[in-house]
Amino acid sequence: MKKILIVDDEPFVREALKRVLESSSVEVEEVDNAQAALDCVAAASADLVIVDIIMPGMDGVQFIRALRARRADVRIVAISGGGNFAVGGYRPDAISTQAYLAAASNAGADAVLAKPFDIGELEAIVQPMLAAPAPAPLN
Amino acid sequence: MKLRLSVLLATITMVTCVAVLPFIYRDMGAVVARSHEQLFIENSRTMARLLAQQFEVGEVFGKPKLMGNLLDTAILNGDGRYAELIGPGVSMRSELNAAGLGFPEREDLGFGMGGDKLYFIKTPVSHGGQEYELRVGFDEAPTQQVVAVARRALLWPLGLYLGLLTLAGLGLGYLVTHPLRRLQRLARQVADDPDSQSLRLDTPVEEVAELAIDLQRMREALVAASVHLRAQISAREAAEQGRAMLERRLQHRERLETVGTLAGGIAHEINNALVPITLLTELALREAALPERSRGDLQTVLAAARQARALVQKILTFSRSLDDALPVPVDLDEAVQDALKLFRPLISRGVIFGVEVMPGCPQVMADRALLVQLVMNLCTNAYQSLPHGEGAITVRVEPVPWQGADGMGVLLEVSDTGQGMDEATMARVFEPFYTTRQVGEGTGLGLSVVHGIVQGFGAHIEIESRVGHGSTFRVLFPAATLKAGPGAELPAKEPVE
Repeated sequence: MKKILIVDDEPFVREALKRVLESSSVEVEEVDNAQAALDCVAAASADLVIVDIIMPGMDGVQFIRALRARRADVRIVAISGGGNFAVGGYRPDAISTQAYLAAASNAGADAVLAKPFDIGELEAIVQPMLAAPAPAPLN
Repeated sequence: MKLRLSVLLATITMVTCVAVLPFIYRDMGAVVARSHEQLFIENSRTMARLLAQQFEVGEVFGKPKLMGNLLDTAILNGDGRYAELIGPGVSMRSELNAAGLGFPEREDLGFGMGGDKLYFIKTPVSHGGQEYELRVGFDEAPTQQVVAVARRALLWPLGLYLGLLTLAGLGLGYLVTHPLRRLQRLARQVADDPDSQSLRLDTPVEEVAELAIDLQRMREALVAASVHLRAQISAREAAEQGRAMLERRLQHRERLETVGTLAGGIAHEINNALVPITLLTELALREAALPERSRGDLQTVLAAARQARALVQKILTFSRSLDDALPVPVDLDEAVQDALKLFRPLISRGVIFGVEVMPGCPQVMADRALLVQLVMNLCTNAYQSLPHGEGAITVRVEPVPWQGADGMGVLLEVSDTGQGMDEATMARVFEPFYTTRQVGEGTGLGLSVVHGIVQGFGAHIEIESRVGHGSTFRVLFPAATLKAGPGAELPAKEPVE
């Protein structure tokens, strides 16, 4: 069974994602902050990580960089509701969800998704990732 | 009180002379009088002496007729008026003596004494061992007349002297004041017209000539100082204006940024809240056993969530600086035509819609889709300001000068005959969520989005509006040629790292 790790500081978002994803018979773990997510067991074993970008403490962009440095094989989907906050040492000069998502892509996310999204949009991204075999480790 | 210097000098001279002249006149008159009186007295004494000698040597004693004749000669010759001989056994008077005239108690010691206009002297006569006394009186009046004439004669040269001195005073005053007055006239000319010729004066009066030179030097120094000051003042004014304008822009920008930050935060929260609403509603809708009524309710929730999502999207666009929209050279008029295709079907029949596109418009650096949105928003705003959906909207595109580089720009003008705006509204019109429409008629974001797009493309926007007459929005774009061509020369995006 494929393992999915959800990292988001919003409990409702985590809950909704978990409910939607569980319907496709996957194992879902959820963590409410990036630092804890990096340290948890699932971080080492998850096939897919869905991570929010704007979170207190370590933000999503920093998390993606750190995780990508450890694991080249994990698939990462970044999600963001936009705003006007500094992330990963970058402060967009305008409030634009696209800017955050671009930063996440640059940090190593495989796909990005602007909040709010519907089930169709989520599944269109997640299903192919779960179906395909994980890319071989770089080394 | 102010006095002319020449008049003052002449007056001083005259007053001095008038004060001194009586003394001079008196003293000179006294000298003249004394010399004449001296002469008169000497003559009188000589005459009396001669008469006495004639009595002493003339063998006339004892001969009354001869003695009488001798006494008469004193009166007949010259100014004698009285003659008398008194001695032992003799007391004889001239028959020519004025009637009632007698020898006074005492002899006159000086001219004009006794108040009788006669000068009386006694002369001793010795004859035959006897002592007699000859008493003679001489008339002082002729001498007094001569003195009076002489005194009068003195007045002429003295008067002439006074006149000459006064004239000299006036002349001296003129000599000094004339160059001073010329200098004054020149100074006035210079004061009235700072560009007039320099202050140069030829005058024999050395002090005035030096004064003119000093004044010219002072004037040059003043002119230099004034030029310097004027330059400083205008530089300061320009700096002040520039600073004030910059401050206004910064304030405006700051306010928009503050609201932008707030809007960004709110957008973030709403977007997050919309995730479970959207996902879980959809999930619920997948339930096959869902009652039809609940299915309808959930569809409504989903539609509302989508509406909220669209609103948040608008919020996020309003101050976007086009991070993800690469500006390329675009024909503004084409973007306008695109926008109007979308806009025309939305307006009512009561609106007179005009489009004027002037030829020769250069391209502008922008994103076509955003330009279309800009025109749409401006037109929508114009349309919503028309009372009862009736009036006129005019869109103009024309080439205009641009201050800088090669001086080309394009003006996009959207004007309406709507209700117009007051100053307070104009100042806030670009703020997000600021709206004068009824609740539900507008989000208050349309013009904020316009502002964001305008700023993103380096354009300027200005508003002209009169309450009750309508508004005109003018957006001025720099021509694309001003910036370097598309591609490599575009400003590099800020790195993520």
